Amino acid sequence: MGDLKLAWRNIWRHTRRSILTMMAIGFASLLLVFMLSFQFGSYEGMIDASVRLSTGHLQVQAQGYHDKPEMRKVVKNPRKVMDALSRTPGVEACTARCQTFVLASSEDRTRGVMIMGVDPETESRVLKTSSLIRQGEYLSSDDPNTVIIGALLAERLKIGLGEELTILGQARDGSIAATVMTVRGIFKSGIDEVDRSTVQMLLTDFDQLFGMDGAVHAVVAVVHKLTEVGEIKNTVMQDDALKGLAVLDWMELSPGLKQSIQMDLVSGIIMYVILIIVVAFSIMNTFLMAVFERTREFGVMMAIGVKPLRLVKIILMESMFMTGLGLLFGMILGALLTQYFAGAGISMGGAADLMAQYGISGRMYPRLSLITLFSGPILIGVVTFFTALLPALRIPRLKPANAMKAV
Amino acid sequence: MFAQLAWRNIWRNPRRTAIILLAIFMGVFSMIFFAAFSRGMANGMVNNAIDNLVGHIKIQHPDYRSDPDISHRIDDPRSVMDEIRPELPDGSKIVQRIRVEGVAANARETAGIEITGIEPSKEKGVSFIGDAPIEGEMLEEDDEHGILLGAALADRFDTEVGKKLVLTTQRADGETQSRAFRIRGLYHAEIQATEKAYVFITLDAARKLVGNKNCATEIAVTLPENKADRALEQTVSKCKEALKPFNLSVYDWMEQIPAMKAYLAMFDMFLYIWFVVVFIAMGFGIVNTVLMAVFERMREFGLLKAIGMKPAWIIRMVLGESLFLLIAGCAAGTLCSLAFTWYVAVTGIDLGSFAQGVKMWGMSRMIYPAIDIGDVIAANAVVIVLGLIVSVYPAVKAARFTPVETMRQN
Amino acid sequence: MNAVSASNVSKIYMQGDVKVTALNKVSLEVAPGEFVALAGPSGSGKTTLLNLIGGLDEPDGGKISVNGKDFANMSSGDLAELRLSQIGFVFQSYNLIPVFTAEENVEYILQLQGEGKAERKKKARAMLDDVGLEGKYDRKPAQLSGGQQQRVAVARALVSNPTLILADEPTANLDSVTGESLLRTMREMNQKHGVTFIFSTHDSMVMNAAKRLVSMKDGAIVDDKVK
Repeated sequence: MGDLKLAWRNIWRHTRRSILTMMAIGFASLLLVFMLSFQFGSYEGMIDASVRLSTGHLQVQAQGYHDKPEMRKVVKNPRKVMDALSRTPGVEACTARCQTFVLASSEDRTRGVMIMGVDPETESRVLKTSSLIRQGEYLSSDDPNTVIIGALLAERLKIGLGEELTILGQARDGSIAATVMTVRGIFKSGIDEVDRSTVQMLLTDFDQLFGMDGAVHAVVAVVHKLTEVGEIKNTVMQDDALKGLAVLDWMELSPGLKQSIQMDLVSGIIMYVILIIVVAFSIMNTFLMAVFERTREFGVMMAIGVKPLRLVKIILMESMFMTGLGLLFGMILGALLTQYFAGAGISMGGAADLMAQYGISGRMYPRLSLITLFSGPILIGVVTFFTALLPALRIPRLKPANAMKAV
Repeated sequence: MFAQLAWRNIWRNPRRTAIILLAIFMGVFSMIFFAAFSRGMANGMVNNAIDNLVGHIKIQHPDYRSDPDISHRIDDPRSVMDEIRPELPDGSKIVQRIRVEGVAANARETAGIEITGIEPSKEKGVSFIGDAPIEGEMLEEDDEHGILLGAALADRFDTEVGKKLVLTTQRADGETQSRAFRIRGLYHAEIQATEKAYVFITLDAARKLVGNKNCATEIAVTLPENKADRALEQTVSKCKEALKPFNLSVYDWMEQIPAMKAYLAMFDMFLYIWFVVVFIAMGFGIVNTVLMAVFERMREFGLLKAIGMKPAWIIRMVLGESLFLLIAGCAAGTLCSLAFTWYVAVTGIDLGSFAQGVKMWGMSRMIYPAIDIGDVIAANAVVIVLGLIVSVYPAVKAARFTPVETMRQN
Repeated sequence: MNAVSASNVSKIYMQGDVKVTALNKVSLEVAPGEFVALAGPSGSGKTTLLNLIGGLDEPDGGKISVNGKDFANMSSGDLAELRLSQIGFVFQSYNLIPVFTAEENVEYILQLQGEGKAERKKKARAMLDDVGLEGKYDRKPAQLSGGQQQRVAVARALVSNPTLILADEPTANLDSVTGESLLRTMREMNQKHGVTFIFSTHDSMVMNAAKRLVSMKDGAIVDDKVK
């Protein structure tokens, strides 16, 4: 108790200096809490956007389909796979999907497009295509022989709602598949690549047209919690229903996304480390002075029987009190700031256009979590500890008689 | 005299001065290096983007951008090129291309691609395809049946050099046209998406395919490297002037890729925010250190006042000392970061471990930090100006010590 | 067994480039319960001798032991331990811990010794009462006069029940009345608890009060007489 009291009171011998030091620490920790929350929030946004727009969290496919998608690489019994996924805890929903490349023609234009067969009931639980409809309506199983098409594609094909789209492709057995479909809806995801080249139709229509015989190309699943994806993937892979099939998670489905997150995180961490080093040098003088200007006092304390290591401990306690207070304030302010923007969102301004091409919203929502709240401050705390330790280690080398002669 | 006094004063406690100098040094170093790194990355992105069949200036049919169809073509591109050639700075390169959407197919696979008709020998130094590593052979000028395929696409089609590929597209008259081509070579691009997106045939072959003997969909101009920034705006307006009689649009690269321009603007803003953040981190230390130095010399300041020194002089003296600290720290930080940046810029920084992420954003794998003199000035200005501003606080404290008070203190 | 035994102790300082012999082969034996004054002009080696006896500094030659414990081969931690349990210090300029109150300054020693809280408080207060500081427990050093601060220092030195108290010019910063009363207190403690006192001084009043007067000059003992 006495040592704590001593350390605590020593801080307030130089109120101004201590407060400035705590402010430096507080500033760094506020910034780190906010920035990490911002980064993690934006990652979640990016992953969510990508997952909900196209890939899902998990996909079950035939072996090798992902690397080289071919019509004949199929999941033969999607019902069994979907049942297996549905009974796996943590899986929110799943849907089956087919896709292939076809020529799509309107009255006077022809374009190559990716056509997908989807089941509107399950699909809308997994992906948000249904909410992207800008004109007309989403697919419905009551209305066969209709398609929805991307907005840019509609423009290029010069085609509108209710008009006819001729589809020409190759069936699963290699024969020619051709049909005429009516445009029921036009969607816009904001990702040019998707909006320029995608057509969706009913899975049942697809099955018939391309002779899929009940097989699909992928079963797409989303889970409740992003963090559980790995675990769920492992569980699912054990299931007998998936024997011989490949299970891919979102990181494998979009490796670019995963790595750009890593890259952003690494560059963020480098910046934080630089910032923390600058802060460490910035506050080192305070800790140094706390030792140097009290040399005489240390001599006296040693004379009355305080062991040198105990003195080191007291000095470290003093520094750590300061650090702790600074961190605490930084964390509280950082958390408040984060929570405010978590509600309001942060506009990415001009970069929003670029980000839209990757399906990322132009508003970022920072997200506070235990990791974002604590990892920055803990790192600062550790660095500060060593910053304080450096001058404190001079104490054991002091000779009490000399120390007491110091001014 | 004054400078000498200030300089000696800051070295009265060398350890403390050294530590705060280190803080300033680290801060300035990180500011400048970080700026150079970001610039290098941005340059890489811009160059990649320009390389990617964009070019500095592009001339197209006004409707081509919203609907890249052969109906939105440039007729008689030769005369257009002749028209603008005199307006371009020396060393500029000018090419015509046909770019239309199409479908590539072989027995195994069908995929949507962009059919790009080029004059192979002219693309060198203009777009990536002119300098891309190629397995097999580059197209010959008069090759009407040859095609260049991206390596990734060839992989997907399970095909190789010498095999056939059928291209289908819509002709100028609206009919669908298919023709078989023989794969002459496989090109490699920095970004895999590029390899999957473009197939190249000769301009003549493309003209045959779309059924129009004298057309192009775009004319692209690449300015000589040293004039790319300065001459751009002027050249664009000159071209616009020259092309008035034609119904054509002229775009500079920023108009072609507006997202990139916005992104670069955000880059700038982000950089300046970073400068201020780093300054704040060291600012607390600067104030604290100057404050300590001032309080230690309370008696001295009291005495100076007692012998008649005006408070304004004391303020000037303290600010002078902190100016020296700031300049010394900034100078050291700037010199070292410049040296370090140059050193790193020779080999470049390899982001290979994030290859997929790098590609996703159209960045280069190798980053060559680029020093922008404006950034160097900005970093130093931020530190020195803000550093002086925060030093006013301890300076005013020093000026307020009264002689009596300071005597009592010790 | 002697309370203090110093034999042939030497200490040399470097002052800039000049060697200064602070102590030159000094030997001194002090028996338990003695009340000894070290007298001499400044620079005669009094403080150096006290520092060496207290283990605050290492001799360059000779041997020192307190209560039979030889200082040679003792670590700085061991020496601190020894001071804590057996030696009390009183300094010319009091040297109290400025952020602690009078009571806390005294109590802290007991805490270092690992005493329980209630016991600590009782003992600290009793000791402050003993040195005449009733009711001043909660004052910080800055709020106490020099004499009062020095009494706190004496209380601090005594509270751990040491066998030896080393006082370096304890009255030098005090006026004569205060100094005399402090000295009386110290003498009382010497008689009441049997604590050995060694103090350096050039104050004649202190020398008169001493039971044994050791005179030093130029780093050597020139006279040693028991009254």
